[in-house]
Amino acid sequence: MVAIQTDGLTKRFGSGEAGVLALNDLDLTVEEGEVFGFLGPNGAGKSTTINILLNFIDPTAGSAEVLGHDVQTESKQVRQRTGVLPEGAEAFERLTPREHIAWVEDAKGIDADTDAILDTVGIADAADRKAGGFSKGMQQRLGLGMALAGDPDLLILDEPSSGLDPTGMKEMRQLIREQAASGTTVFFSSHILSEVEAVCDRVAILNRGRLVAIDSIDGLRDALGTGSTMTLTVDAVPDSLTLAEIAGVSDVVVDGRIIRVSVDDAPAKVDVIDRIRDDGASILDVTIEESSLEDLFSAYTGDVPPRVNGTEVER
Amino acid sequence: MTLPTLWLTIARKEFADALRSRMIWGIVGIIAVMSSLSAGISLLVPDVEGGAEMAIGGASQFAGLLVPIMALIAAYLAIAGERESGSLKVILGLPPSRGEVLLGKFLGRSGVVAIGLSLGFVVSGVVTVILYGGLPMVAFIGTTVLTVLLGVSFVGIAIGISAVTATRARAMTLAITAYLGLTLLWDLAPNAVHLLITGEMPGGVVPAWFLLLEGLSPTGAYNALVQRLLLGSGAAVDARIGGPAPSYLDPAVFLGILFAWAVVPLLVGYLRFRRADLS
Repeated sequence: MVAIQTDGLTKRFGSGEAGVLALNDLDLTVEEGEVFGFLGPNGAGKSTTINILLNFIDPTAGSAEVLGHDVQTESKQVRQRTGVLPEGAEAFERLTPREHIAWVEDAKGIDADTDAILDTVGIADAADRKAGGFSKGMQQRLGLGMALAGDPDLLILDEPSSGLDPTGMKEMRQLIREQAASGTTVFFSSHILSEVEAVCDRVAILNRGRLVAIDSIDGLRDALGTGSTMTLTVDAVPDSLTLAEIAGVSDVVVDGRIIRVSVDDAPAKVDVIDRIRDDGASILDVTIEESSLEDLFSAYTGDVPPRVNGTEVER
Repeated sequence: MTLPTLWLTIARKEFADALRSRMIWGIVGIIAVMSSLSAGISLLVPDVEGGAEMAIGGASQFAGLLVPIMALIAAYLAIAGERESGSLKVILGLPPSRGEVLLGKFLGRSGVVAIGLSLGFVVSGVVTVILYGGLPMVAFIGTTVLTVLLGVSFVGIAIGISAVTATRARAMTLAITAYLGLTLLWDLAPNAVHLLITGEMPGGVVPAWFLLLEGLSPTGAYNALVQRLLLGSGAAVDARIGGPAPSYLDPAVFLGILFAWAVVPLLVGYLRFRRADLS
């Protein structure tokens, strides 16, 4: 069974010159039972994707299904079966955590084990205190508790560790593992690689609205192997780029006039340069770096300076 | 467990939240004090024969100005405030639809305003009994019900405003505009139209359409209905227009106007909110 499926999902905010393409033709499949990490820098389109899945915004093009339900026409069913931790969730200041969970019970028509949930997320001590004075981290824990209530089939967590201290982040990872062990699909976004590395079955890396990589952590590691990443700046990317045929080339990503090539064999590097020239492009610059997983993330996402309107894109 | 009636769940939560915020007691207090004062004011003025009806009339005059602003304050942030803070996403991440959220908030806040106004009026009713030695129950209860209707109309306007705005600041701007326009500036409109059509300001006797224009705002409709209720007949209207009143000045019309002011802004708000980008 498929938990989340998106098909050509595209979102443009505004129109014309001032418009921002927040999400560009995203195809994504998350299987049931997976822990799926949705990775990318701020402004990459992670929250935009999650907002579409929850029907907070309409896609400009494309479609998405969650647990077999169309996110636009059957949003109620989606939200009935999903536990959601929205981005920057703010608690209701005049309600206690216990009342927050009761509210979820009412809204979903379920019965939850409130004490167990509050204990799990570590705010059992504050169960009957009004949430008005809660720190960002406590609000985040409460939000997670609300998402867990009723043992949903799918958890959608938008930056779950934001506002948490290192201990809290560790507990969050532990909690995600436990949920996964009990069969819950977990889809969570993060801009921190180490966070997803520790718990995810698979990750997708998003940058500037585009999916730039999707694989298991091991797959990403294997793809990199002992190899390296070549970043080539060309005058114009040839229409018939044939780099993928070269033995020793494991991945090719084109971003504007920049071609990134993952190379497993050292001799293949020269072949890559020759082939690009044969295809008819002039190479303006070449950098080669030996890759770690961190490098992979930054190679996909970090070389582009953060856009000034980055926060606006991440709406 | 079956699915709950979600709008009712939200309405209950809104109501409970208003109790916690003590907003409702603010409404009770202000209405009780102001309407008691205005009920008693005719006793302070020498040479004026004041009765209990007049006291209720005085209270309704104050209510016509106060209730709109209180209802607007009680509800203008219902959606826009939570949209800005992000807690709207907590609610909409749960099964309720946007329509259910809107309806629930309208009913919850209307309940708060209705109960606050009623309790406030009960206090001023007691004061009236003490000052005048009696209370005409039909006029009193009728005025209370009409005042509640006025409050609910402005809650509908406020929720509509809240649904079409994404920020607190914008919601506040629109709420203030609505208050000024509907309660203070509206009275100028019939005069301006009169001046345009007849070339002179309205005198002692005015055309019938003039009264309809006056009564097209929620406060205008409320005033027309209260006047009719307290006088028990349309004699004042007939005197004002110098002849029998046409059917469009029937109280039912003004009642319809009051209802429309609750429902139409709510519908417009819903249509805009239904597919708004909440990001």
